[in-house]
Amino acid sequence: MSCNTSVTHLNVSSVDKAQQTPVHLMPCEIEHNGPAKVSQYFAATMKDHKHETTVSFRGRGLKGQELSCPQGYTGLVLKEVNKPGSDQEDRTVKVSSVFNKLTYWNLETPPNSDDTVVMAMDWPELAEAIHGPVEE
Amino acid sequence: MAAKKKRAPNVQNDSWVVIAADSAIHTQKHDRDADFVKLRNPSTDAACLYMLGCGDAQLYEVKAFEEDFHSWFVGQTVQRDGRLVFVTPMDPLFLILPYFIKSGKEAKFQPVDQVVTDEEFPACSRLLSCTRSLASLQHIAEEKEAGSTKFHRYSEEKTMNWLKKKVERTVVALKRRNISVGEGVKSTTYVRVKSEPDSHEEDYLRYAHGLISEYISADLSRALLKHLELPELLSPKETEPPSKKRKLSDNPVEAGEDYTKFNSADFVRKPPKKMTAAQKTLAKVDKTGMKPMSSFFSPKVKAEKN
Repeated sequence: MSCNTSVTHLNVSSVDKAQQTPVHLMPCEIEHNGPAKVSQYFAATMKDHKHETTVSFRGRGLKGQELSCPQGYTGLVLKEVNKPGSDQEDRTVKVSSVFNKLTYWNLETPPNSDDTVVMAMDWPELAEAIHGPVEE
Repeated sequence: MAAKKKRAPNVQNDSWVVIAADSAIHTQKHDRDADFVKLRNPSTDAACLYMLGCGDAQLYEVKAFEEDFHSWFVGQTVQRDGRLVFVTPMDPLFLILPYFIKSGKEAKFQPVDQVVTDEEFPACSRLLSCTRSLASLQHIAEEKEAGSTKFHRYSEEKTMNWLKKKVERTVVALKRRNISVGEGVKSTTYVRVKSEPDSHEEDYLRYAHGLISEYISADLSRALLKHLELPELLSPKETEPPSKKRKLSDNPVEAGEDYTKFNSADFVRKPPKKMTAAQKTLAKVDKTGMKPMSSFFSPKVKAEKN
């Protein structure tokens, strides 16, 4: 049973030191967490055509699109610092990178407005309607 | 969908890709950190992850959008967990309301700090520090003042009116979104929908009701449907709003879905709760009508019971 009283602190000031980093949402699960030569073997194969961006990954052509973060929002990559041993203890995460736009890649379908990640970008506006203050 | 290949569980995850409201990170006081805390989800009654920022002045919802078979490249690293986590401002009253409903059964006026307490979720008292909390109690409770102390008693009538306003605000936002998408790829949807103005309006209402129902109990959701003068749908159909499906939210039905394996209350090992079964719902998306957004945003399990 996990502990409902433990808290995960977000070290907010770490955002000042965080670097802008390119982020790509890949259409496959990669069973790995850790370093990879992304710019050398992936980003280097990106091509901008008239209406689409393509890249080759493991011999497959991917079609991509850049998405900006919604207005008033910033992309953050949070990383845990000093992972504690038990889930009773409080934890801390810091902002390790920031981004204002991301690139998502589809395997076959050209990027379009029905893509999950595109629709997800509408969430802040709907959330504002749901959670904003109502008049008296 | 083809059977999933067996994957090694992702246990080493210590990194998350997040899109967060600027207010949560660009605070004037940088010494005031934000906290991810577990609180009782008003719809499921189970532990769920939220964030308190700006020195507890603002509550945030933590919601993960997820599709099967996705991973991130972040700079020169791979992050296996392909979820995109949104941190958006949330109305604390949604989390305070269940405590009032519970105490309302005693039908007495009580000080708010006696109402909003929870042994299981001690962080709930921090909700009362949110800027909007105390001032907005009048939307769900009657108020009496004795000396310098205020006493409150739950009012269903007030709550219904408040929730109705929430639905109306949401309808406006949905329409606004729709007009902008109507010019582009979804123009056929827009035109089709235009030709049936009556059902159109009801669709919006049901749809907004479904979104609001994510933040209230199943009982309250039903009562709100009545308050909105929307008939309950008798048979489950494709057009059914997400809220209807959620009626079963107390049953183990949803727990049978395979995404529950991610819904641990443990933020760090198996990252933030709240997630949509995006892949599944996307498969169900009816691209001929108004449904995509609601199918997309609504059916989700936020956290497991401990």
